[in-house]
Amino acid sequence: MIKGYLGVDVGSVSTNLVVIDEGERLLAEQYLRTNGKPIQTVQEGLYAIGQELPAGVQIAGAGATGSARYLISLIIGADIVKNEITAHAIASSAMTEDVKTIIEIGGQDSKIIILRDGVVIDFAMNTVCAAGTGSFLDQQASRLCIPIEEFGDYALKAKNPVRIAGRCAVFAESDMIHKQQLGYNTEDIIAGLCEALVRNYMNNVGKGKEILAPVMFQGGVAANHGLVQAFNKYLELDVIVPRHHGVMGAIGAAILARETSRKKGGTGFKGFNIKEINFKTSSFECKGCSNACEVVQFYENNELLARWGDRCGKWEINAV
Amino acid sequence: MSKIGIPRTLAYFIYFPFWKTFFEALGQEVVVSPPTTREIMDIGVREAVNDACIPIKLYHGHVAYLADKVDYIFCPRLVSVRKHGDFGTETFCPKFLGLPDMVRLALNNLPEIIDERVDLKKGKDELLKVCARVGETLGQSGTEIKRAFKQAMKVDGRFKQLLYQNYTPVEAMAMIFDQQEHIPPPRQETDLKIAVVGYPYAIYDAYINAGILKLLQKEKVRVYTQDMLSDKTMNRQARTLPKSMFWYFSNRAVYGALHFMQEKGIDGIIHITAFACGPDSIVDRLLEIESRRRNHIPYLAIAVDEHTGEAGIRTRVEAFLDMLRFRRDKA
Repeated sequence: MIKGYLGVDVGSVSTNLVVIDEGERLLAEQYLRTNGKPIQTVQEGLYAIGQELPAGVQIAGAGATGSARYLISLIIGADIVKNEITAHAIASSAMTEDVKTIIEIGGQDSKIIILRDGVVIDFAMNTVCAAGTGSFLDQQASRLCIPIEEFGDYALKAKNPVRIAGRCAVFAESDMIHKQQLGYNTEDIIAGLCEALVRNYMNNVGKGKEILAPVMFQGGVAANHGLVQAFNKYLELDVIVPRHHGVMGAIGAAILARETSRKKGGTGFKGFNIKEINFKTSSFECKGCSNACEVVQFYENNELLARWGDRCGKWEINAV
Repeated sequence: MSKIGIPRTLAYFIYFPFWKTFFEALGQEVVVSPPTTREIMDIGVREAVNDACIPIKLYHGHVAYLADKVDYIFCPRLVSVRKHGDFGTETFCPKFLGLPDMVRLALNNLPEIIDERVDLKKGKDELLKVCARVGETLGQSGTEIKRAFKQAMKVDGRFKQLLYQNYTPVEAMAMIFDQQEHIPPPRQETDLKIAVVGYPYAIYDAYINAGILKLLQKEKVRVYTQDMLSDKTMNRQARTLPKSMFWYFSNRAVYGALHFMQEKGIDGIIHITAFACGPDSIVDRLLEIESRRRNHIPYLAIAVDEHTGEAGIRTRVEAFLDMLRFRRDKA
């Protein structure tokens, strides 16, 4: 029997699942679109990754991360729930021992993590603006009728990237339309967008941070070659895109699950075949005071498992 | 007897014990708005001018809540309140200077507003003079005012003593006014010690900051804030900067943070900053630079606004605590 550790990272745009072995080798991975249905996506993803796993692998620990981590931990029976910043840092330092900077760009958020001697010493996340994230690129790609997967390769063909204002996603779009109407070619505009996104990231998330090599570039957006090139140009160094750049958060959660389950000597993992279980959430507005909190109730086969969302705590059950 | 309404935000967290005692000693009734709720915030966001910062919008919401319940709204024009140290050019931020006017223009059907100018740097007896003017508005005699003033000073002194014993203003007020003598001193099991700095109305308003103090407490973090420091301690830090800021609350946040950066045993600094706050664009950058210059102490800035989700704050705080624990365990 081989011991496997499951990591699940449910973000706003994608849901990633991985299983690693004791030595942090990837045994299976699933990268799915969340499509606004985190519960269903995780149920399907779990089933799929269970099918993909080689025979004889038994899950000895499970971890959840990402913005839906608390909800998901209840579904899979996670041994540990961890924020995505720590999860990414853990995964990167496991892959590249002396990593000093991590650039992570996901669907709706982006972060920078600064490490020295294997320890996180500083980090930042984007605040109220999504201009430097994957959603921004997604939107512009669909405006130009180019599949997002090919977007970056267009940028590589550019000869003279156009200067585009990247401070705000809305204004970047008007600027881009303007440049199109002036007759600039698509490749140069796309390369300009990539550079604008990098500028925005560096001025917003990366502001004031000491960026030293080796720099890891991960998250779904790292698949974009145009952005890799734009980062290289801006930072005047070569960023490293890890092979499993899209699932690093999940790998981090899996590594943490290994530590935790070893410590507690067992796992609460519910198994891969949870497709049959009916998970359901419902919500109501509490009328107790003028806060009018939206309280969420979580059911497993009609049995109330947890309740959260109230500020005062009077409805709370098993809230994590 | 009149009812005097005091909004539970902005300078409430520093001056409420004084003014509540003063008004009550004069035989008036004090009505305070409840802790911020979603309804109060929604009204404030709707009624206040659009480009105001979120705390000013909240203030409008609290005033609107009180409007039909009281005879007066207490909304002093705060210019300066420091009594010690180098006053320099320090005042409150411009929005405090214009607060009574802003509220008057934005909200309809308001009762009378008590908007006495509080400018304590003018002289030693200035606060008594302010009290005299406020008391006269309410038709009180000079002797009554003097007696109420003395009582208010006494309670204010007790309030400050409790703050210096590391109680938050909210805890200290509960101890003074609700006779909760036995609030457990904040000395339960401590895993980390963190200084939380920023404007009192951002730090102690659990609605606007998504309950960050409670979250830290749950994580066994002992919290210190700038309000637990004496003026003397603050002023010592002022001398370590080439220049101070112009604004009272900003200076307090800065001096407090600088003090804790050098204080032994403090694991990190969290700065809670209000979205769209002009002065904070400088305060935050200054603290980020100084935290690196002084001991490389871990520093986290959290911006709050009307859309602040608990999830975003929780993710950042959890990651920050992880970082502090990893650092400590590696050392």
